[in-house]
Amino acid sequence: MSDNKQGATFPAEGGVREGSLDFIRQALSQGCFDAVLIPAKMPLSDSFAYALIEDESLLKDAYPLCPIMTVQGARVISALTRRGKGKKVLSAWLRPCEVRATVELSKLGQINLENIILISIDCPGVLPLADWAKEPEKTESAFSELVKGIDIEGVRPICQICDKFSATGGEDLHIGTIGMQDSLLLIPNSPKGRSILDNLGLQAAPDISDWQSQVDALTADRKKKREQAHKELESRAKGLDNLLHTFSTCINCHNCMRVCPICYCRQCFFDSDNSKFPFEDYLVRAEAAGGLRLPPETLLFHIGRMLHMSLSCVSCGACEDACPTSIPVAQVFSLVGSKNQKAFDYVPGRSADEPLPLRVYQDREFEEVEQSGARAPAPEET
Amino acid sequence: MAKKIGVYVCECGTNIAEKVDINRVLTAVSPLKDVEVAQRYKLLCSGEGQDYLKQSIEEHNLTHMVVAACSPKQHELTFMNVCEKAGLNPYLFQLVNIREQCAWVTPDGEDATNKAIRQIRAAISRVHYHTALEKKEIECSPDVLVIGGGIAGIKASQLLATPERKAYLVEKTSSLGGKVRSFSKLFTNMESGLRLVEQEVESLQQNENIEVLTESEVEEILGFLGNFEVKVVNKAKDKELKFNVGAVVVATGFELFDPKGLPQYGYGKLDDVYTSLEFEEMSIADGHTKGKILLKNGKPPESVAIIHCVGREEKGYCSKVCCLYSLKFDRMLKSQLPGVKISHFYSDLCLPGKSYQRFYEDTKEIGATFIRSAKTGVTGNEKGLTIDYETEAGSKGNSAADMVILLPAMENSSDAQKFAEMLKIPLDEKNFFVEEHQLLSPVASAVEGVFVIGCARGPQSISESIVQSEAVAGKILSILVPGKKLELEARTSEISESFCTGCKTCIDVCPYGAITFNEARRISVVNQVLCHGCGNCAAACPSGAATLKHFTFPQIYQELAGVLRQECREKNRECNRKLI
Amino acid sequence: MPKVLRLNQGAEEGVKELLKFLLESGDTRGVLTLTKVDEGGGVAYSLVTDPKVLEDALPLFPLMPVNAGKVLSRITLIEPTDKPIVAVMKPCELRAFAELLKRSQGSLENFLFISSTCGGVYPLKTAISENIGEKLPQYWDAVKKGEILPEVRRNCTACTQFIPYTADMTVALIGNSDIEKQCEIYLNTSKAEEVVTGMTGEVSEQELNTEALETLRSRRKVQKDKLLDEVKDLDMEKVFGKCIGCRACSKVCPACYCHLCFFESPTSEHRALDYERELSKNGGVRVPLDTIFYHLVRLFHVSLSCVGCGQCNDVCPVNIPLGAVALKTAGAVQEAFDYVAGRSIEEELPITIFKPEEFAGVE
Repeated sequence: MSDNKQGATFPAEGGVREGSLDFIRQALSQGCFDAVLIPAKMPLSDSFAYALIEDESLLKDAYPLCPIMTVQGARVISALTRRGKGKKVLSAWLRPCEVRATVELSKLGQINLENIILISIDCPGVLPLADWAKEPEKTESAFSELVKGIDIEGVRPICQICDKFSATGGEDLHIGTIGMQDSLLLIPNSPKGRSILDNLGLQAAPDISDWQSQVDALTADRKKKREQAHKELESRAKGLDNLLHTFSTCINCHNCMRVCPICYCRQCFFDSDNSKFPFEDYLVRAEAAGGLRLPPETLLFHIGRMLHMSLSCVSCGACEDACPTSIPVAQVFSLVGSKNQKAFDYVPGRSADEPLPLRVYQDREFEEVEQSGARAPAPEET
Repeated sequence: MAKKIGVYVCECGTNIAEKVDINRVLTAVSPLKDVEVAQRYKLLCSGEGQDYLKQSIEEHNLTHMVVAACSPKQHELTFMNVCEKAGLNPYLFQLVNIREQCAWVTPDGEDATNKAIRQIRAAISRVHYHTALEKKEIECSPDVLVIGGGIAGIKASQLLATPERKAYLVEKTSSLGGKVRSFSKLFTNMESGLRLVEQEVESLQQNENIEVLTESEVEEILGFLGNFEVKVVNKAKDKELKFNVGAVVVATGFELFDPKGLPQYGYGKLDDVYTSLEFEEMSIADGHTKGKILLKNGKPPESVAIIHCVGREEKGYCSKVCCLYSLKFDRMLKSQLPGVKISHFYSDLCLPGKSYQRFYEDTKEIGATFIRSAKTGVTGNEKGLTIDYETEAGSKGNSAADMVILLPAMENSSDAQKFAEMLKIPLDEKNFFVEEHQLLSPVASAVEGVFVIGCARGPQSISESIVQSEAVAGKILSILVPGKKLELEARTSEISESFCTGCKTCIDVCPYGAITFNEARRISVVNQVLCHGCGNCAAACPSGAATLKHFTFPQIYQELAGVLRQECREKNRECNRKLI
Repeated sequence: MPKVLRLNQGAEEGVKELLKFLLESGDTRGVLTLTKVDEGGGVAYSLVTDPKVLEDALPLFPLMPVNAGKVLSRITLIEPTDKPIVAVMKPCELRAFAELLKRSQGSLENFLFISSTCGGVYPLKTAISENIGEKLPQYWDAVKKGEILPEVRRNCTACTQFIPYTADMTVALIGNSDIEKQCEIYLNTSKAEEVVTGMTGEVSEQELNTEALETLRSRRKVQKDKLLDEVKDLDMEKVFGKCIGCRACSKVCPACYCHLCFFESPTSEHRALDYERELSKNGGVRVPLDTIFYHLVRLFHVSLSCVGCGQCNDVCPVNIPLGAVALKTAGAVQEAFDYVAGRSIEEELPITIFKPEEFAGVE
């Protein structure tokens, strides 16, 4: 994070939730934006979902920090703006991983960010969806304890090793909560973000070092945990046999693909006609090995999916929540994603201007792969 | 409809038959699914061979054909024509190369035969999935676009324009003639550059087959030889013009290296340090001094220093013509100011060709000193300018002068990058356009239909540029014959409307600019005329919405399966990856 | 009188023996059945061609990782097999395949179907958290006695269609007290009789013992009524409000056969202005839209062919009782047309045929 970041404090005596809702109410009434997209409790079904709220009174059901991730925020924004921007100015209240996924989707033509203001907040993680589905009340109260101090017991495994839980670079405004007693830190990161502070008459002060140092310390800690987890997973999942074992209970439901914000294809390659063959093909393959698992290409689907999306994987873990046979898909994809992204020196979602690595040609990339002497000498000048 | 595949294995004289056991091959492939007939023939590409194929297709009512012979580069078209003559769509055919890719490179006969069997089996698997494709034709345009109205562009336009062929000459400034317009004298005959240009321009304007577009810039060129779609914008009138041409000639000229980057010459800091072009502009009759060579203080100079090779070390090349025109400068100076003292400071003198040695010696006689200096610098004070020099031997000296003329290196124009990208023609490491072949094809570029002449290819003289104008005219006249038709690629890409999600990845990777985005429907659309069938889009599209005709996923998959399955069986491999 | 093949082995071993015989005799080129795929306990369907690999087969294993009817549809969709294949499936899977055949989503050419009277399958989550292998004695005990094992899928406890309709062979499991020692396979078609010639085992004529089956059926009916009662007053917002739109239910359902679902197609996409209009009307709107609409339309589309397998229920990440809902709507729809999904391959889909006197009461 750059040193010349500035932040304005906003009172939050009633806690993060109350403070955030106050901020939203003020921003709405000051016309900073016309409506806010924020997780809210659906009273009739006792569940959570994103809601676009214009009417202040409906904010009473809003949960700036929601205990679960039902639909990945980037998917929600895509549903809103895939066909183009609207007339109203909307703010989207998202987790950092959702902001990053949103930025990636905007590079893929699936989100129009013009009338959207991205607001992120320090994220304590979310609880496993399956746990919440079993015992909603219990998990919700566990979560409110969680929010008080970013302690990670009980959150999803993927959240426990997340090192990008704070400002990530793609947001317009970030809400800092870590170590902040009775207030929120509003940190603008773009002209859109700054104009909100201006509209609210808030002055950004240059010293956010207190908060920043806590974030940095926690980030370093998480990075270590992440490396550890990846190393451990690699030894368990590396190699064809280990991969087959990891995915042995996969039932090809393709849930992981459907909830993934980055998977934007209308029809997945692995659902398309390209993945359907005459019976003879399956029989021949079966005969070559004595048997063929059905539905076919279980592992190939996962490898193919990693090939297509790993460079933009933001480790949000929506896939893991969705898997009906509890395969640790998020862990595997996150590991592969991290390694691939490192090879291209790419961090998904840190900037909307940074092009996707596979779409941009760079002369001097992966030179170590090219053989020496394979290049023809440059033509001499006459 | 039932498929009937004909499989023909060519002996290619002895080329294939010598190594591959063709009878064993035929035995192996005859029982394959839908193979109606499998035969061998001595030389399929011969007249008799082609007749034999045609008859066989008709006799067996074949729906598909596989020929195992030489390289597609050699005879794919030959056999496709045979198909057409026999009433079979030429795309329902697959040529397998068992010569270059098998017989010629596999030492052991048995290995070669096994490999040939695998290759042919793969082709048979693939051809099952071939679909009939339609070949389309479009008329090619004989017209030409010349970019740059300098002497090279003017000459090329004059030579190309005829009643059957229009030339569009686009020039970004308001007048034609380029740099030559500013030369009051040309070496070696010392005639007026301006007058030369005016003559050429007049003759050009009388030619009604040339459309001159001044104050205009080329914004976009899409397409290929015979069918370029050009968009030109007139910035002054805010007008846009679109037209089609068959060829593009780049004659965008040169610019001088900026000596400000070399502080030792004092350019831009000291008074009366000029570049050669500035000196030329001062000398022309309608320049700001009415042709008089004057210092900043309004007085004529008494001594002039001419410094060669400015920027030569930095650029890494010699600009070829500067020494010559510096001799011209001597004569211009002496003719206006007979008493003027002239000193040249050079690191090398470049005087190639039959006339220039003489030009040099004559110029020395009229009174100019030539000092070879490895390191030259210019300093100044109220009294004037001082040139510090260092000879090869190592002795240092200095010389006073009122005026310094720098001879900077010639560079490609600032538009070079723009045209390199627009036309997809490469620039070399010195930033000049690369010719197709240094020796054998000096005016064509790597892209068919795009040519580069004049200083855009590298520093050269006016006469050399005109030679190239004549050369490019010759090339274009022979390639683009009016009335000629162009065959379009049938194996183009298509994007499914239902499955495209508008991510534009295909547009990013298309090298031919053949894909556009439909904003209203938010889908990408392939221009079937511009598409070259490279397949980048099909490879890049994650969902498979973009597909390449004749190289669809099932076709390629089945071809691969045809090779690999056979291999699996041959090696009797017991795969333990049974339940993937 | 129907013919029965009796083998002197336990049910599962007997079926394995039969499959081995069929492969080795050359009458069959491949067998589709559940197999062990991993030492860790993963179980999935496989197409087995090598008799040695049949060692890992678990033909009667009480698990449905995918609905086999959907799998069969996928692999016979592009082109049918021209070689004889045997498929071992549960009754509802066979029915599901029959429904797909009616929509040209596959072919049964050259197939021989083996099914059984079914005691149900364990929920997927149970298979993950526990070792089903260890629960098998308990399972077979209930099957032997013709009792309902409460641990199986809810839909299975309520299933009254547990006798296969269109199988070539039916393994008699329910109420078969000798299940550990003897395998009874009813040969329902002449094809079935043909392929077992030469196999060691006794073929005799025997009537199917329906007593245990009827008892189980009435027990299951009680469970069904209970289950339907739970979703009697369907408050759609309450039930579907939790839905996260993962579409897992659609992807695993055999009746959902569309290559591109309506809800994935451009036609179903909303524009920003549509959302903003809703926003202006109500001050707030849930994003994305169509949560309940999706389920309504899906039920509308599948109810006629729903076989009640409950696969949808197993895969829902937020525990929406989709199995019960499907049973309710499918039950009602199929009853209205006096139709049972998959009971016959020749029977046409009610909505594709016009009967002038149908629903005359509505006019």
